[in-house]
Amino acid sequence: MTQNREQNKANGTANPEQEWFGERNVSATEKTKLVQGVFDSVADKYDLMNDVMSGGVHRLWKDRLIRMIRPRPHLRYLDVAGGTGDISFRIRKKVGDDARITLCDLDEQMLRVGRDRSIDQGMMGQFEWITGNAESLPLPDNSVDVYTIAFGLRNVTRIDTALREAARVLAPGGRFFCLEFSHVTDPGLAKIYDEYSYRVIPKMGEMIAKDRDSYQYLVESIRKMPKQQELVDRMLKAGFLRAKYTNLSYGLVAIHEGLVL
Amino acid sequence: MTHDVDPKLLEILVCPLTHTTLRYDRTAQELISDKAKLAFPIRDGIPIMLVDEARPLEDKEIKKAR
Repeated sequence: MTQNREQNKANGTANPEQEWFGERNVSATEKTKLVQGVFDSVADKYDLMNDVMSGGVHRLWKDRLIRMIRPRPHLRYLDVAGGTGDISFRIRKKVGDDARITLCDLDEQMLRVGRDRSIDQGMMGQFEWITGNAESLPLPDNSVDVYTIAFGLRNVTRIDTALREAARVLAPGGRFFCLEFSHVTDPGLAKIYDEYSYRVIPKMGEMIAKDRDSYQYLVESIRKMPKQQELVDRMLKAGFLRAKYTNLSYGLVAIHEGLVL
Repeated sequence: MTHDVDPKLLEILVCPLTHTTLRYDRTAQELISDKAKLAFPIRDGIPIMLVDEARPLEDKEIKKAR
């Protein structure tokens, strides 16, 4: 913890999200536990809820991410917050057998659901599953070629620490991709989206996943996500080059990418 | 269905705190970081590489670096 405070002092404003859990103020340690609790609770219904909440559009966003990655064989892929496997499965389908794909998630339960899904889809034994924290990954320096984090960074307690950690594990030439909820650019649309997310999503969570609070957190955490350009700036600070973003669905989500040399 | 830990995974994992290599204790199903003095559990074939979930090692369990 002291190390983190020193880092904060050194960087001025690093990790401003570490004590927000949605709109509540909590300690950094508590936040990590609370996020784990959310995903423990929703793991079984996570895939269904994504379809219901986004009308299936989350699949298109993930497909778009894969097109931007242009996955090739012989590379080492790390899917952080990889959970139930949506990104890793897509990568595997593109690259065939000859690539190492590791999923790392803070929540064990999400990985279990993911592993069961991989078996259901005939992909048993094609992935490595690790429970780990994006802020301190159990992987050596320069051991990854493509780092992805899809709908995960928002939930990380210390975002700047996680970005530096991503840069550490990436080998020279390695690429970082983050798919995440972002901020709608058109004010009119933003208003409609606000209404939908505050009024409808917690209700859906209550009906389908029997868990209103976790989906209330989801909505609030989206508001707290750094804006597109802010995240670019923080990626640059963390050591990425050519950091940039692409808005999808008018900025409802964005893909950030960066390079390590 | 039970799962064994993937041998390929054991080759690439390091301690999340010290980034040093780990010892695999098959009987205990633990990955041991002598440097961090922590044992990370493997549950149902999934290594749990979280410091909060790790068991602190007792002195006699620690192997000095060769």
